[in-house]
Amino acid sequence: MNLRGVKALIRGLWLSWMQYRSFFFVLAFGWMIPPLIYLLVWSTAAGDGSLGGFNRGAFVAYYLVLILVNQITYAQVNWTVGDLIRCGQINHILLRPLAPVYDALASEVAGKTVYLLFDLPILAILALIMKPEVTFTWEKVGLFLLALLLAWMLRFLWGYWIALLAFWSARADALLTLQDSLIFLLAGQVAPVALLPGFLQSAAIVLPFRYMVAFPVEILTGNLGRADIAAGFAIQILWTTLAAVLTVVIWRRGVQRYAGFGG
Amino acid sequence: MNDSHIQVRNLSKTYRVPVRPEGLRASVGSLFHPTYDDIPAVKGISFDVHAGEVVGFIGPNGAGKTTTLKMLSGLIHPTSGELTVLGFEPWKRDAKYLKRISIVMGNKSQMLWDIPPMDSFRVLGEIYNVPAGQFKQTLDEIIELLDMQELLTKPVRNLSLGERMKCELAASLLYRPAVLFLDEPTLGLDVSMQLRLRKFLADYNRRSGVTVILTSHYMADVTALCPRVILIHNGSLMFDGELSSLARDLAPYKLLRLTLLEVTSMESLKLPEGAEITEREGLGLSIRVPRADAPDITANLLQTLPVSDLTVEDPPIEAVIDRVYTGGSL
Amino acid sequence: MPDLEGNMHILRLIPYFIKVSFQEEAAYRANFFISLFTSVLNLATGVLGIMILFGQIDSIHGWNEASTMALLGIYLMVTALRGLFIGPGLDALAGMDGEIWAGKFDFVLLRPLNTQALVSLRKWRLFSLFDLLLGLGVFILALAKMQTVLSAWQIFSFVIALFSGLVILYAILLIFSALVFWSPGVLFTWVFDGLFQMARYPMGMYPGWLRLVLTWIIPVGMITTIPAEALTGSLEPVMLVASLLLAAALFAAGTALFQIGLRRYSSASS
Repeated sequence: MNLRGVKALIRGLWLSWMQYRSFFFVLAFGWMIPPLIYLLVWSTAAGDGSLGGFNRGAFVAYYLVLILVNQITYAQVNWTVGDLIRCGQINHILLRPLAPVYDALASEVAGKTVYLLFDLPILAILALIMKPEVTFTWEKVGLFLLALLLAWMLRFLWGYWIALLAFWSARADALLTLQDSLIFLLAGQVAPVALLPGFLQSAAIVLPFRYMVAFPVEILTGNLGRADIAAGFAIQILWTTLAAVLTVVIWRRGVQRYAGFGG
Repeated sequence: MNDSHIQVRNLSKTYRVPVRPEGLRASVGSLFHPTYDDIPAVKGISFDVHAGEVVGFIGPNGAGKTTTLKMLSGLIHPTSGELTVLGFEPWKRDAKYLKRISIVMGNKSQMLWDIPPMDSFRVLGEIYNVPAGQFKQTLDEIIELLDMQELLTKPVRNLSLGERMKCELAASLLYRPAVLFLDEPTLGLDVSMQLRLRKFLADYNRRSGVTVILTSHYMADVTALCPRVILIHNGSLMFDGELSSLARDLAPYKLLRLTLLEVTSMESLKLPEGAEITEREGLGLSIRVPRADAPDITANLLQTLPVSDLTVEDPPIEAVIDRVYTGGSL
Repeated sequence: MPDLEGNMHILRLIPYFIKVSFQEEAAYRANFFISLFTSVLNLATGVLGIMILFGQIDSIHGWNEASTMALLGIYLMVTALRGLFIGPGLDALAGMDGEIWAGKFDFVLLRPLNTQALVSLRKWRLFSLFDLLLGLGVFILALAKMQTVLSAWQIFSFVIALFSGLVILYAILLIFSALVFWSPGVLFTWVFDGLFQMARYPMGMYPGWLRLVLTWIIPVGMITTIPAEALTGSLEPVMLVASLLLAAALFAAGTALFQIGLRRYSSASS
């Protein structure tokens, strides 16, 4: 693995991202708003009582962590992969002595730091105003970090194989829009999965989307039992593996097809 | 009432540019106490342009040409001085004024990218309130002069750079403006397209009597179109007059071109201070001499060298301008 | 300076702007299906969000499922109108490939028309009519579910409140767009769109301090909540008057800021 190359790539991308930071701050702001709305609505709805086991403070804690996790796992790179393929810029990337997925990963890491520069201060202020109620244990934090890492990989790879469909169709982006909507509904944004009506809840538990955002949040702020957590990790790892396999297969097929066309 | 279309007196434009200091502490400080640099772009220039004239604005990059053009068209506000175009103060952007001027910029397009030019033209015709009959007549004339009949129905994005510039010109002339500002109209075009546009502009100026102010980096545009040039350098007006006299006025030297009868050693030739041999090939010889010394040196050369032919010339216009641009002085 | 004759002239130009915008849109037919898909998804997530919320609770601060759905319908219609005109013209100003950054705004400035009116009315996105229909559908279904007979006063106050909401929307968009003259690279209208999402839900569902901010300071709440309250009959007449006054004040402020921005552009641009 070409570690120096990756470091140089991240640094270069970070510098250029900082140049356009206002643009990324605007994007980060836009992504933060929908979960923020549901934070406010649910915590008002809970009032002095509780809904489905969540009281006001628990909703606040849940959604503040969710905003952070949503930002960390959001793979914005997936939106640009399709453009790269369509405009033929992927040629440059194919010519570099570095596996192309590193390019996407590098801009992921560079981008995340810029977004977090924006998100963290706002979350800190919201935490001061809204007073979340949560107790952390080291065990929870450790499991959270593991689930977060897997969630990020899953969301990144899942979006990446969808984006790679651009080798075949110019409209692959529509599937990314669909993914965003499903994440909104099933990954704990519109409501914690525990509060979803029966059929949506079952779908959320089986499909990959909950494991992209909600699962780590639930580990840290909820009261999932050991069995739930174990089952969750099993499903998360299963989907991540499948996404990785799909990415590799589709990438190989896509490049073959692309080379066949002669770029 | 004189026929002066543009009157410029002591026109100046100074940009205020915030200074961004290096280092964190200094840049935080500048958030609260911003400091500004005043960058003078145009420094007190004056000139008049008469109806129907074609005037070339020349000068190196950053000389203040575009700034002046933007003040003339009304895009930016002068810092001081007086400026009237067609009797209006441009910066007020009175609708009556805007209907009588037009600007074409070589690096910016006013055409709508995804639709055929004809549709953009119709909207412009409506925006400028051109009566239907006049619109058709004007458009037909321009289309014929520019030979662009077949471009009208293709989306602009499918046109070549030169074809797009034809559209830009047509769009800017649809409402028969009295004054036309052209900022680098031939930028990036190939030589034959440059020639055609020049011919068009010359023809159109003759037919319609439109006043034209042209800036260009291609001297050929200026020499072909502009009997009169205004040279701006560092924001100041350095020359205003006929192109043919620019060299005489600005170049303090002349070129002597000699053809000798036989190969001669130059050892014996004593050139006075300031004169130098710029070119020597076979029997040909070019000598650059201070303008005032030209007669004396010529006489001297005729006496000391076996001269078969001798001419005294002004230096070529490109060379003069290059010296102004690069040296700043002569 | 705004003059009556000039403003009448620009109204006559609207059909031409619409025609040209339609041609531009039609050049990218593939986008049509993506837009269709996005609109339907947007509708579905909005409706499901409300259904999930009211699956847990019957009413929040006086808002039940039907009245919240009616408010969503208003939100969708207002968003569609913003996307239909006004929005596209103002969006084109900002950003790294925007007209001000690229200098193309020069041409807009030199047209013999009121610049603010031209910027607001020049671009149309006819696809938004579909969004408008979807919003209207949600609105009508929600009204049917509310099962109330609207009084003449409710209908009258709804129309007035919606009108003043639309003026407020235009004015805030104009204010955000005018900031572009100071920082041409920043997509201020996107920031507004983010804030405007808050108007999907009634102001009554937000904490008190935020309700005040969203009603009086960045009054996106006025745009949807006041008309919805008019329908449910919970609107106090004084709020209707306040919303009209706020609309007038913001319109004046937006116009003034836009003019100051134009002047800045004329003195500082290089």
